[in-house]
Amino acid sequence: MGQGMGRPGLNRRQLLAGLGGLTVAGSFGFAALGTGADALASGADTRVRYWNLFSGGDGYNMIAMLDSFRADNPGIEVKDSTLQWGSPFYTKLAMAAAGNRAPELGVMHLGRVTGFAPGRLLDPWDLDLLAKYGVREQDFNPALWKRAVIDGKLYALPLDIHVQLCFYRKDVLGKAGLLGADGRMVAPTSVDEWFAMLKEARAATEKGLQTIGLWHNDMNFQWWFFVAFYTQLGGTWFSADNTEVTFDTDKATQVLEFLRRHLTDGYADPGFGGNAGAEQFVNGSPFCWEGNWSVPVFDSAKVDYGAVPLPPVFGRPATHAESHSFVLPHQAGRGGATDEGAHRLAAYVVQHARQWAAGGHIPAYTPTLTTAAYRKLQPQNEYATAMDHQATEPKVWFAGSTGILAQRVGPVVVSSTTGSARPDAVARRMKSTLATLLAMKNPMDGRTAAEGGALA
Amino acid sequence: MTTTSAETVVRRPARARAAAAGAAVRRKQGLQHGGWFVAPFLLLFALFVIWPLLRGVWLSFTDANISGDGARFVGLANYREALDDPLMWDALGHSAFFTLLVVPCIAVLAFLLAMLAHHIERGTWLWRLCFFLPFLLPSTVAGNLWQWLFNPGNGMVNHVFGLDTPWLTDKSYAMLAVVICTLWWTVGFSFLLYLAALQGIPAHLYEAARLDGANAWHRMVHITLPMLRNITGLVIALQILASLQVFDQAVVMMDFTTGPEDSTRTFVQYTLEQGFTSYRVGYASAISIIFFVLIAAVALGRMWLLRNREEGGR
Amino acid sequence: MTTTTVTGTRRRSWSAGQIVLTALGAAVSAVLLAPLLWALFTSLKSETESVEVPTHWLPEKWTGQAWSGIFETGNIIDWFVNSLVVSVCVTAVVLLVSSLAGYGFARTEFRGKGLLMGIVMAGLMISPAVLGVPLFTTVQQMGMVDTYWGMILPQCAPAAMVYILYKFFQGVPRELEEAAFIDGAGRWRVFFTIILPLSRPSLAAVGIFTFISSWNNFLWPYMVTNNPDLMTMPNGIATVMNSYGIQWSQLMAGGLLAGLPLIVVFVFFQRQIVAGVAHTGLAGQ
Repeated sequence: MGQGMGRPGLNRRQLLAGLGGLTVAGSFGFAALGTGADALASGADTRVRYWNLFSGGDGYNMIAMLDSFRADNPGIEVKDSTLQWGSPFYTKLAMAAAGNRAPELGVMHLGRVTGFAPGRLLDPWDLDLLAKYGVREQDFNPALWKRAVIDGKLYALPLDIHVQLCFYRKDVLGKAGLLGADGRMVAPTSVDEWFAMLKEARAATEKGLQTIGLWHNDMNFQWWFFVAFYTQLGGTWFSADNTEVTFDTDKATQVLEFLRRHLTDGYADPGFGGNAGAEQFVNGSPFCWEGNWSVPVFDSAKVDYGAVPLPPVFGRPATHAESHSFVLPHQAGRGGATDEGAHRLAAYVVQHARQWAAGGHIPAYTPTLTTAAYRKLQPQNEYATAMDHQATEPKVWFAGSTGILAQRVGPVVVSSTTGSARPDAVARRMKSTLATLLAMKNPMDGRTAAEGGALA
Repeated sequence: MTTTSAETVVRRPARARAAAAGAAVRRKQGLQHGGWFVAPFLLLFALFVIWPLLRGVWLSFTDANISGDGARFVGLANYREALDDPLMWDALGHSAFFTLLVVPCIAVLAFLLAMLAHHIERGTWLWRLCFFLPFLLPSTVAGNLWQWLFNPGNGMVNHVFGLDTPWLTDKSYAMLAVVICTLWWTVGFSFLLYLAALQGIPAHLYEAARLDGANAWHRMVHITLPMLRNITGLVIALQILASLQVFDQAVVMMDFTTGPEDSTRTFVQYTLEQGFTSYRVGYASAISIIFFVLIAAVALGRMWLLRNREEGGR
Repeated sequence: MTTTTVTGTRRRSWSAGQIVLTALGAAVSAVLLAPLLWALFTSLKSETESVEVPTHWLPEKWTGQAWSGIFETGNIIDWFVNSLVVSVCVTAVVLLVSSLAGYGFARTEFRGKGLLMGIVMAGLMISPAVLGVPLFTTVQQMGMVDTYWGMILPQCAPAAMVYILYKFFQGVPRELEEAAFIDGAGRWRVFFTIILPLSRPSLAAVGIFTFISSWNNFLWPYMVTNNPDLMTMPNGIATVMNSYGIQWSQLMAGGLLAGLPLIVVFVFFQRQIVAGVAHTGLAGQ
């Protein structure tokens, strides 16, 4: 550039130098201000930053609820940010809280709260403020509320529970004679009954489609399904004081063999793991086990379907449930208008979760469940009872969605379902992993699950 | 190389004039201000390189967590745990495997591309631009792009080659997919190094060889390759160091997971998992220090090789 | 190889060898650029068309939806500005401190110089990938998590750049300085009025390289920023944009936008960059 251009080149060079100088000065100035363009542009009195992990249809519904909150509360600016689901989200939230730069409001899976250092990375909710905005303890399922209370303080405000469901196609099941008089699937009460149903359903299924999709090679789903059926068998994890592993390898083996049998008997095709299960279902495969968040997917695909909690094949009904809940990430100076804004926003969304329910989740705010509008929702009204039969991970610091427990044990369950390890060997490995985790100290307070007794 | 010629031009006359006075002045001036020249850099260096290193060593002997308080001294416990930690060894294995695949491929491909660009007479700038362009993308963009190209349902790679390969979902292909992305993304940098080296080979060497009747093959084996030995050493060393630290494109391609059956969990990813996902800053520091020792060994090994060769050459 | 043609005929003729080589070059370029073209075409499709099976190269219906989409939703403009602010600041600081340090090590004397130089060289082995966790806790203690300075300052101590400039300054003829000293100039004036102008090509190389690596840096900004308002392009695209369920058209548009500034820089400053690489390479030998 510039070289060999004589005088005019010099002028241009001066111009470039001037521009460069301005850019550098501007950049330093901007960096010194330090808030980012968006915060600079915002003129609202109260700015509530809200981090969530809702993508796809959930994200769409959440934004709609936020928009109606904004319309009702013009004085509060809600700055919502969606981050990648899974462990990156928790990493970001923890690092922001540890670095004292946390947002006013966040969303977490309830199972993760215990391990998220309540009191250190999370601040407790102000119950009086919540009551002022219309949310009280008696509006929630007692077991659910209890899970959110640690050391006598409420650290999470549940928005929903989301459960694993058995989706079924009414057209195929009708052809196979598996629907009851009310047009709904008849629940099997034993393993044999369930496989008999699968056999009849297979006969009624078109060629080239599998009978059931169950995410056989996904560490999260397989772990959730395991938790559900293991709970149906009455299995336990740890002693009440969290000093001993009470994990029952016989029961676990039973569950693992049950999961595995779907593949060995040819009902689930090893080529259709993952999302392909849902695609097969849309194309006419009779069953798939999915999270309730698939409801809008199947709705928009215009499938004639229903959905029930995972079949109670071991007698007692139970299906895996997690809960999205609002949390207050730790801020050194929490309080004042922004904190009130966070309480107001969370309370509002919890009470206006009808649209959220359309996304398949079961609202945690029980008054919503009894409204006529919710009862009309199909297939939500078929599985809302799951609220009373929740199978959850143990309440220890290493549990919860994509937590350490799931990360360590999930792949082990998969290895059994896909057949690369024997169920009984896997059950023993699970038990020894549980023992290792129980002996492990929570890095946040240097205490094992047993020593953190107050937390449990 | 350029500096050598500059020196020959200016050298003698000026020196004769200034020699006597210059030496004295220089010593005085230099002693006065030398420290201040390096001070700003050293301050930043001390704060953000040396201090974290020392801090890492200290933390590795504690059970520190992410919140930054309440750390207790635990002696060598973290190191003992690390040596027994199968996940750490797996992660190290994955990074090493990646390095083993990437480094030789990069060196060969970059050399071939440079030879090509060097010998085409027209439009040198265009070839340079085309071959270097991918390197200008951020790593995460390269990762997203290849995630899209390897997409199971409608990925372009499978479409173009008529394959049905589960690139991102099968443990035997996942790391290979990351390698392919990396080759595409980074080959341009080594290519430029080779190209610069090729252009630096004096033309008279070739002319002399031609006069001696050497054909093209001989000229390459006896002139080009030996003249590129140093740059090859550099390319390989830089690539080993960079490849061992692979992280960005792997996590992006795998949606921030560890890949099918943990097959793409790299060492860097594992330290971040321990530090930021499991909040075990003490343990993460310990395995970081182990990693640092490993990297240092590679770098020192190269220096040792270079020194040996120089001495052998004399 | 084809050196015969190079020296034999200065006017460029299309010899058979050249035609083959050019064809080969074009083929290789096509392979290397195809992924980028694919990204471009994807960004000009609608989201539904981009995921259609079987897939196809050209959009059946060309649309700018994805491009307008990324500007309307999300904070891609914030990220762009953040990237610019961070990269410009990093480049300015690095140029200043590493040219001073390079000169200091090359041409001045002070106590402990050899030792300090050795320590700085050891710094070549340390990066946020190697010591990220302790670096994070350090920055956390300084209260700089989720700040611009937290992103900028740790990128401002690159031992490699000091080493490159150190090598360069060593090659500058001493006579130039000495003449100025005799005229009564001080060390600082010599540095700013004689040495710096002389080293413009090296500074350009260092500056451009610092800018490129800072613009493209993912790992450190990823570790130290959590607030989406403060993220840089590579970080925002990877951790925020992906989360809306993957919308491939928008993701590709965002990616191209992130790559664009550097491509423009490269087209304009190609000569300096190539010279810079040569320089880096030769210094590294």
